[in-house]
Amino acid sequence: MSAIAGHAWLMLRLNFRNRLAIIYGYLFPLVFLAAFWVLYRHEPDPLFAHMGELLTVTALGGACFGLPTALVAERERGVWRRYQATPQPTGAFVASVVASRYLLLLSAGIIQIGIAMAFGMAVPGDPPGLLLAFTVVSGAFIGLGMVVAMLAGSVPAVQALGQCIFLPMLMIGGVAIRVESLPDWAQHVAAFFPGRYAVAAIQQGMTGGALHANWFGLVALAVTGLAGGIVAASLFRWDNRRRRPRMSGLILGVGLWLAIGIVAQLQGRAVMAHDWPDRADVGGPERYVEAERVRPPPRVAAHAAGTGSGSARGLRAASWRDVQESDIAQVAFERLPPDAGLVAPIAPRGTLQDGAVAAQIATIRQALAAWPPAREPDMLQRTRNYLAVAAVPDLLQMDPLEQHLPWLIFDRLRQDIPPADLRRIFYWIAMHPDEGEDSAIGQLAMLGLPAVQGPTGRVRERIMLYAFKLLGRLESRQPAG
Amino acid sequence: MSDNGIATLRVSGLVKRYGDVAALRGLGFEIGSGEIVGLLGPNGAGKTTTIEAITGLITPDEGEIALCGVDIRRHPRKARARIGLALQATGLPDRVTPREALALFARLYHVRPDIPALLDRFGLVEKADAAFEALSGGQKQRLALALAFVNDPALILLDEPTAGLDPHIRQTLHGHIRAMREAGRSILLATHDMAEAEQLCDRVIVIDRGIVVASGAAAALTGQVRLSTRVQVQTDREAGLAELAGAELFEAQGCAIRFRTMQPHRAIEALVAALDARGVVIVSMQMGAATLEDVVLDLTTAGRGA
Repeated sequence: MSAIAGHAWLMLRLNFRNRLAIIYGYLFPLVFLAAFWVLYRHEPDPLFAHMGELLTVTALGGACFGLPTALVAERERGVWRRYQATPQPTGAFVASVVASRYLLLLSAGIIQIGIAMAFGMAVPGDPPGLLLAFTVVSGAFIGLGMVVAMLAGSVPAVQALGQCIFLPMLMIGGVAIRVESLPDWAQHVAAFFPGRYAVAAIQQGMTGGALHANWFGLVALAVTGLAGGIVAASLFRWDNRRRRPRMSGLILGVGLWLAIGIVAQLQGRAVMAHDWPDRADVGGPERYVEAERVRPPPRVAAHAAGTGSGSARGLRAASWRDVQESDIAQVAFERLPPDAGLVAPIAPRGTLQDGAVAAQIATIRQALAAWPPAREPDMLQRTRNYLAVAAVPDLLQMDPLEQHLPWLIFDRLRQDIPPADLRRIFYWIAMHPDEGEDSAIGQLAMLGLPAVQGPTGRVRERIMLYAFKLLGRLESRQPAG
Repeated sequence: MSDNGIATLRVSGLVKRYGDVAALRGLGFEIGSGEIVGLLGPNGAGKTTTIEAITGLITPDEGEIALCGVDIRRHPRKARARIGLALQATGLPDRVTPREALALFARLYHVRPDIPALLDRFGLVEKADAAFEALSGGQKQRLALALAFVNDPALILLDEPTAGLDPHIRQTLHGHIRAMREAGRSILLATHDMAEAEQLCDRVIVIDRGIVVASGAAAALTGQVRLSTRVQVQTDREAGLAELAGAELFEAQGCAIRFRTMQPHRAIEALVAALDARGVVIVSMQMGAATLEDVVLDLTTAGRGA
């Protein structure tokens, strides 16, 4: 075992003998995750949608507090001074600190994802991409952590300096509060913080979107890590005696960090479109039909009572085959969420320019041919299964895939099911969101999409919306693209 | 000197400044093979700075340091590989065990020592798997010495290795240090403990304000010292004496009188006469030859009250 590996391995072992390090490095992130899960009423999809933030906080805390605390505590006790007297170069010790810290962060992240999946979260869409994103994020934060370690003269000073990075990153850096939700001035400031790029990169790995689509964020993170490393190297000290910093390194490091924010401003990346709550109550089907349709005749209400509350809404027909023209005519398509909005978006046809997303859609198209839920003999259930393919990426905010995937589903269904039947089936599904079987939602991994587990109520809501929206396109009452 | 005539350590013209303060001002000395050399001097004389410069913990502004003929400043890593070091406070992570620490340092020095034998030699077998923070002061220092030995060094630098330890542990550590010499190592021992230096060192180097002010065997230095007899007198009341014929470094505080003299008979005669004239009675009197401590006090500015 080389000296670096030996030192890194010892640091890892010592970390696991330190109760506080385990509490801060592993327990706190898990408590945070569990609290998030409980606050969102045990639903798995918010965990998936916010894993970027959760993993970013884990990496940020471990790198900006854990690393400098351990390093400064050892330096205060003269450990590093003793290391300095060995024949090993400075870089060997720095490399082992970085490597061991990265492994600690990675293990904490893996445990966090594992626990989230145990809570029912979907499998990450792109595990290699997620690993790459987490690695780059860890590198960026470890660079910042090294700067804190070189600036702080004592462990209490680490806490103070760490908070100077941690809190602004949470509040206006796009970590605790999504960048889209921040006011414009804060978004401009956040462009200088790696937090927002970290959240976006990890989330991209979670949803399986093309990682290179977020190339600027990855480059910004890599440059942040590099800048932190350069500044830390210029401030490096083996003991608590302050040394005169190498000004060239300081200027270069700070310059690189500023350049990230400035380039983001110049390229118009700083301010993002303002978000609105994805979890807005989309309501039941009665919201999208004319009022008189809401009163079911007694015989149908009795039938619907056994199929759940959603089935009792606005219904005369006993099966999809009984749906009448007059039923469909009562759908108020104008009440549906806008196609350009956050909920159930559909992009205008032919606007897909991102090659990576096009390739992803092509992959899904190919995989659909062998996807068992797409071979379901019952046309009604088959249509529900297809609509789930559009609904889940929408719920997980897999932008821009979520906007273009509905067209693939629409085209497949039109090829598969006679138009006269399809319009009735769309209507039936829209009016009966709680009916049918939903195992297809758990089989989306075969299409390269996250497989949502746990309660499916919100997926069913999105299936309802897409059923309405695609019905509108069949009826030419919604943009056909 | 080693067999081929090259000193194990040769330091010459060493200068180190911290701002306007010169910690070392042209320091120079040599250490031969299998020699224990004491580095003595008051606080701030430059002992720790000298050890740090030899180890490469600081970079001197001027001067040369050669270890077995290898220029330490030009080949610091090569030189460090041949130096063993035990500092005043042993810096190790709290939760590391002696066995792990020895294994780690073996890797850092790219050597494969017999770790169980080292643990046995330094009396650490029972504590081999105990956390460093759970070791006693003596055990920590024994571990520091074991670590200094892990790379089979040509030169061992010990900075106050027994400071703050009880006499029994100090004697044990002295045994380890002597064993190091017997194993052919050269040892530079920085210490404030003059008795320790007299017991252990073949030679001492006295430094003051960053330069060597005396060097040689402890016995030779005490013999050379100009003020060779030390006199301490206790009286029944304050005598009010300010000076005494034949005495130097005369000091009277309350009922205590201290001085040194080259003419003890004359000085004591004068003292008795002076006290008799004032009606002061001698309660006790102690006389002795100058010690190494006297030498250091005599040769250094701190001892002269500068």
